[in-house]
Amino acid sequence: MSTVDVLLQQIVNGLALGMMYALLALGFTMVYGIIELINFSHFSVFMTGTFVGLVVLNLMGVTAVSKSLTGFALVGTLVVLFAATMATTGVLGVLIERICLRSLRHVAGTAPMITTIGVAFILINTMLLIWGPQAQRFPQLLPNWRWAVGAAEVTFKQVVLFVVGLVLMLALSHLVKRTTLGKAMRATAQDADAARMMGIDVDRVVVLTFFLGSALAGAGSLFFGLYYGFTGYYIGYTTGLRAFTSAVLGGIGSIPGAVLGGLFIGLTQSLGGQLVGVKWTDVIIFSLLIIVMVFRPNGLLGAHVPQKA
Amino acid sequence: MNRRILVAGTALLALVVMLTGLPGGLRAQGKVVKIGLSLPLTGADADGADAILKGAQMAVTEINAKGGVAGYKLEAVVFDSATPAAGQYDPAQAATNYKKFIADSLVMAAVGPVMSGEGKAISPILSEADMATITPSSTNPDITDPKFQPQYRPKGKAVYFRTVTTDAYQGPNMANYLFHAQKIKSVFVLDDGGAFGVGIADSFQKRAGELGVKILGRDRLDPKEADYKTILTKIKGLNPDALYYGGVMQAAAKLAPQSFEVIPRAIKAGSDGVYDLSWPKQSGKEAVDGWFCSQASPELVTSGKLEAWVTKFKKEMKRDATNYAITSYDAVLVIADAVERTAKANKALTRTNLRDAIQATKMGSIQGPIAFDANGDILTRTVSIYQWRDGEIKYVGVAPEK
Repeated sequence: MSTVDVLLQQIVNGLALGMMYALLALGFTMVYGIIELINFSHFSVFMTGTFVGLVVLNLMGVTAVSKSLTGFALVGTLVVLFAATMATTGVLGVLIERICLRSLRHVAGTAPMITTIGVAFILINTMLLIWGPQAQRFPQLLPNWRWAVGAAEVTFKQVVLFVVGLVLMLALSHLVKRTTLGKAMRATAQDADAARMMGIDVDRVVVLTFFLGSALAGAGSLFFGLYYGFTGYYIGYTTGLRAFTSAVLGGIGSIPGAVLGGLFIGLTQSLGGQLVGVKWTDVIIFSLLIIVMVFRPNGLLGAHVPQKA
Repeated sequence: MNRRILVAGTALLALVVMLTGLPGGLRAQGKVVKIGLSLPLTGADADGADAILKGAQMAVTEINAKGGVAGYKLEAVVFDSATPAAGQYDPAQAATNYKKFIADSLVMAAVGPVMSGEGKAISPILSEADMATITPSSTNPDITDPKFQPQYRPKGKAVYFRTVTTDAYQGPNMANYLFHAQKIKSVFVLDDGGAFGVGIADSFQKRAGELGVKILGRDRLDPKEADYKTILTKIKGLNPDALYYGGVMQAAAKLAPQSFEVIPRAIKAGSDGVYDLSWPKQSGKEAVDGWFCSQASPELVTSGKLEAWVTKFKKEMKRDATNYAITSYDAVLVIADAVERTAKANKALTRTNLRDAIQATKMGSIQGPIAFDANGDILTRTVSIYQWRDGEIKYVGVAPEK
């Protein structure tokens, strides 16, 4: 491989990796946009989602060593897998909101955020106790097609990841900007009391936001499992930290910003690893974050901070 | 008068509480020798640690079944040294565990730690307390190297003994093997950022360089990272004959499948950090196949002469034996032997006297002769080479020493 080919390959790798961060950042940034809560448990819900997916697949008789599915069997399996996993993580998100966060909604300061960190630890340790510490293999359902672009390679999985990320971004933007629910969400974001006076069921809007955000985390978790072929109780940590950084970099609360931030960090990681060394990855990423924050404190696309009345 | 009774009563009560609160209680004093075991029983390396724990437990059970040693019963005190936050061994937790051992006056010696990163944290603590530990698996040479004496044993005397040899041999001998037997001309070296991983990758790289193997690069994996495609793509671009990985399982679980995908043809080798029977289950059989790994001990499990032991272990402990289960078993035998010699010499059974006795060990154990140099390292320096084939670890042979 020539240097150019290697760089091309790294760009492909970086875009796919970035989309993975973006998938995770989307739900996170949406919840922030509506209720201004930094929800660290989002990344643990994502991690839990990979295990939910694993259970769903095992129930359908698909394991890491069973032979690969094709045609309708594959499509059917994927539909059931995504529906069941996203519903489960969505409900998990609703439970977290109902049990842990609703009573703290009017508490000022960092208490709700700290609570989400607590929830994250509960989920992490629960999964550790149930599944044990070792990496679990995730069945490789998607076909291993690959195409050559010069000497670089693009895999089918990378394409799927990329397309799904973009579609979700557009769908979510549309939902927030153009639908009645989105309008209710934005109204709640701007002034919950006024929204209530206008007849919006604020609790319902918040619950739906959490359901949607957590279902997105569930979808992200399945792509993680299908793409990397493994899961472990700790995956929410590093991936989550990068996704969080993506959201902040892109402008927390901004849906296109989350995707832009994710791609930026994915590319930084792969090109930084190629040109400098992967041991410098975090140094490079967080240095760039600081530089961006110094010049654009609201992130690349500016934070959509709700205007409080 | 009433007040006097109250004072006396309170004093009596306080005394009772104090006595019963003493570790182990005074009754047991003089009859039990506790051995501290601090092992990463959860986390990515749990399987290896479990084998080591059971090796030690089997020795303790056997010795007690024979009536103990010199009138003492042995008792294992077991702590986990892994934390959920680390997802694997945690040096700070290991240090906490060893401080607990030292606070328990009946703990006379310890078996462990499993990881060199833990070893670096606990060795100075042991030196202060003059208590010996015997590690069945941690191989970083710095801990016992006299050059680092002020750092790891400030009081001077050896406290860190080993029933395995060190990476001063394990890393270089793998380089010798890959150079002589696999004829590699270039290599890319990775480590996992742990004390063990960095150390063994350094010693491998140094020896490979001396042999004239071209070192195409050196980098570090974050064990918690999911995506190693960046570094593997970089390696693919450099097209080395071999990839060497110094480190343990958390990163290896992801390195194996991703390197299988990106650089399927390169020769891949690790150390005893990837001699882990659960690897194919974690990473997939086909991804693990072909990987070389090593042990800082002679091959014992399949050697034939320990067949009876291996069978008994499997039956009683309900798991497969590993070489480090055997070196752990031997570590307990060394402590028992030292207790016996201390008692025979009519010396008080203290940590200091037991350490001195362990230092003077000269015994034949199930792995072979055990004796230590002045730094605590075992005098036998055999490194064994293995290869994963069809989901199983196969013994290849003893690594060349030159």
